[in-house]
Amino acid sequence: MSFDLSLITESIPKMLAGIGITFQLMFLSAVLGLILAVILLLMRISGKWYLSWPAQVHIYIFRGTPILVQIFIIYYGLPQFEFIRDSVFWPILREPFGCAVLALTLNTGAYVSEILRGGVLGVDRGVLEAGSALGLSARQKFIYLTTPIATRLALPAYSNDFISLMKATSLASTITLLDMTGIARTIVAQTFAPYEVFISLAIIYMILTWIIQKSFGRIEKYLSRYVNP
Amino acid sequence: MDAVTGWWDDYFWGSMIVLQVFFFSLLLMVLFGLIGAAAKLSDNRLAQKIAGAYTVIFRGTPEILVILLLYFGSAITLTAIAQMFDPDIKFIDVPPMWAGTIAIALIVGSYATETFRGAFLGVKPGSIEAARALGMSNLQTFIYIRIPEMWRLALPPFGNHMLSLIKDTALISIIGLNETFFVAKQAIGTTGEPFTMYIVVGCIYLAFSTIITLSVMGMEKFGARTGEGAR
Amino acid sequence: MTNPTSDALIQMINVDKFFGEFQALTNINLEVKRGEKIVICGPSGSGKSTLIRCINRLEEHSAGRIIIDGKELTDQVKDIDAVRREVGMVFQSFNLFPHMTIVKNLMLAQQLVRKIPKAEAHKTAMHFLERVKIPEQANKYPVQLSGGQQQRVAIARALCMKPEIILFDEPTSALDPEMINEVLEVMTDLAKEGMTMICVTHEMGFARSVADRVIFMDAGEIVEEAEPEIFFNSPKSARTKAFLSQILTH
Ligand SMILES: Nc1ncnc2c1ncn2[C@@H]1O[C@H](COP(=O)(O)OP(=O)(O)O)[C@@H](O)[C@H]1O
Ligand SMILES: [Mg+2]
Repeated sequence: MSFDLSLITESIPKMLAGIGITFQLMFLSAVLGLILAVILLLMRISGKWYLSWPAQVHIYIFRGTPILVQIFIIYYGLPQFEFIRDSVFWPILREPFGCAVLALTLNTGAYVSEILRGGVLGVDRGVLEAGSALGLSARQKFIYLTTPIATRLALPAYSNDFISLMKATSLASTITLLDMTGIARTIVAQTFAPYEVFISLAIIYMILTWIIQKSFGRIEKYLSRYVNP
Repeated sequence: MDAVTGWWDDYFWGSMIVLQVFFFSLLLMVLFGLIGAAAKLSDNRLAQKIAGAYTVIFRGTPEILVILLLYFGSAITLTAIAQMFDPDIKFIDVPPMWAGTIAIALIVGSYATETFRGAFLGVKPGSIEAARALGMSNLQTFIYIRIPEMWRLALPPFGNHMLSLIKDTALISIIGLNETFFVAKQAIGTTGEPFTMYIVVGCIYLAFSTIITLSVMGMEKFGARTGEGAR
Repeated sequence: MTNPTSDALIQMINVDKFFGEFQALTNINLEVKRGEKIVICGPSGSGKSTLIRCINRLEEHSAGRIIIDGKELTDQVKDIDAVRREVGMVFQSFNLFPHMTIVKNLMLAQQLVRKIPKAEAHKTAMHFLERVKIPEQANKYPVQLSGGQQQRVAIARALCMKPEIILFDEPTSALDPEMINEVLEVMTDLAKEGMTMICVTHEMGFARSVADRVIFMDAGEIVEEAEPEIFFNSPKSARTKAFLSQILTH
């Protein structure tokens, strides 16, 4: 057993060829997941049981099961049904990429919705009362007071979830997608050099984590300018 | 759901394996977390650095990669060592259960490190000083004040760590652990009903998560009752 | 049922308020005329905040009637919004919008509720910031101001809406002693200009010099109601006496 340096220099560019897929999975799911999270949040705080219940069930299921199960149910499970194969969604659900994005979106949407809810609950009640006393409607309070304040409160937790999402994109390799992890696994299968390949890849992911942390740190600093000016 | 009939016992044994991995990884996770926290809180620069690297590495790397690395890495390392003694050995197979258990314990342990460290630092110096002022010894203060207070602070995130562990056991199926996923795969091979089979897996995990969540809620209530009162 | 004829700006008639089983207000009857200044005092938990919060419906009263400027507070949302536009409120903890600059704090409701164009809202905001003597802080964020300054901003924010009446809920009790006077000065100026005010406060000097009537509350009831001279010099109820002796020895 020896550490093969040339193997590292060879495999890193090969793995980086998959970074596009990793990024696509990450950003698509992040955007769609955020939209889903906001919808779930609005459903939860709507005060109407027929809206808040389905949202809570979604959150409960997607936070209570492993994301790998969710990916497998969507990719391997759904085609069991003919009506799915006949539906307009089939072109998406047939592809591992579409399934991965769908699973990651549903999953991160559930987590982020809880994070956002924490932010909303963290908004000082007195500030909202001041809004009411000035005659702002419920909708105006939500848009002009709750949303900006809750965003700042939720951001640290959101950045952690974003990192989790980035790491979860690697699971797309389990449904044949050749993202960075998928490529690494094929290289290891050929060379049987797990240390060189997987450690190099781990370092790439750590750099991505670091970049995400720094970027969110920037945003956080900007949004907190009124807290520590 | 008829297709599942005949597979229930397999799912049951698969679930037992999930539980087994969960309990062992839980023990290890607490151990790693405590060691990590102790190192971060110690005065030893090297220990701090190592613990710092530990948390950065395991929080910044995808779980599946850690599992793959530990599994294949330990296999070729052990093979190489064995070959030094007996060149005829072709390959040593590491049980996926052990590689997987250690891997997920290391991952979640890196999060637990921060939890335990935060809980230790979160204990208000005031309550410690008050206890000392009442004449309690160092040990008494530690047992009656610091531990319960730390427990109260650490419990909610610790509940999340347990949920992470139980869900991460699913990832070990990737290196061939014969837990519920593995059962589902076999069942699909004969029944051709992937949706049904994976839904069963999902339900099993949902049940485990629910049990963990409820027990943590129960413990929190208990802690609130015996805790230092209103806060 | 028609509104009882009265020239009062605020009428509370047999108002009760329950929080679940707990009765926070019992049979409150209160009339406030245009231009009147009312000071409410009483021990903590006696229902002072609840009373004034019922006036702009931050709390819903459980029984009785509340009529503001001829409009009765009912479940109709439109009425409540109309009433809230007439009633300003200043809170103990200022409750400025932390994410907006001072001038934006003053402009927001003008623009959203009164639909005033931005430039005019800005002009009004600056006008009232000058009235409370801190125009130079316009572009800072609330955390950058002292408590006294924040409370003056809160008063200016209420004034920007051109309310008929302003409710004050212990506006100085969260302030450091050296900042109390700057806020009381602004309030006294307002009173002199004829603003209708209901003020929960334990600043008895302010009550003596500004109030037309002082109201003493205990256990959710109005125990005593009198002009300041009479209230401080010859209170009728034993509960008022006990309370005053406590407050004044402090
Ligand atoms: N939202 C609420 N829910 C339940 N009880 C309340 C609520 N608000 C006030 N109370 C109770 O009503 C009583 C009067 O409160 P409050 O009007 O705030 O008193 P004050 O302002 O005179 O100190 C207190 O006993 C308080 O505990
Ligand atoms: Mg009060």
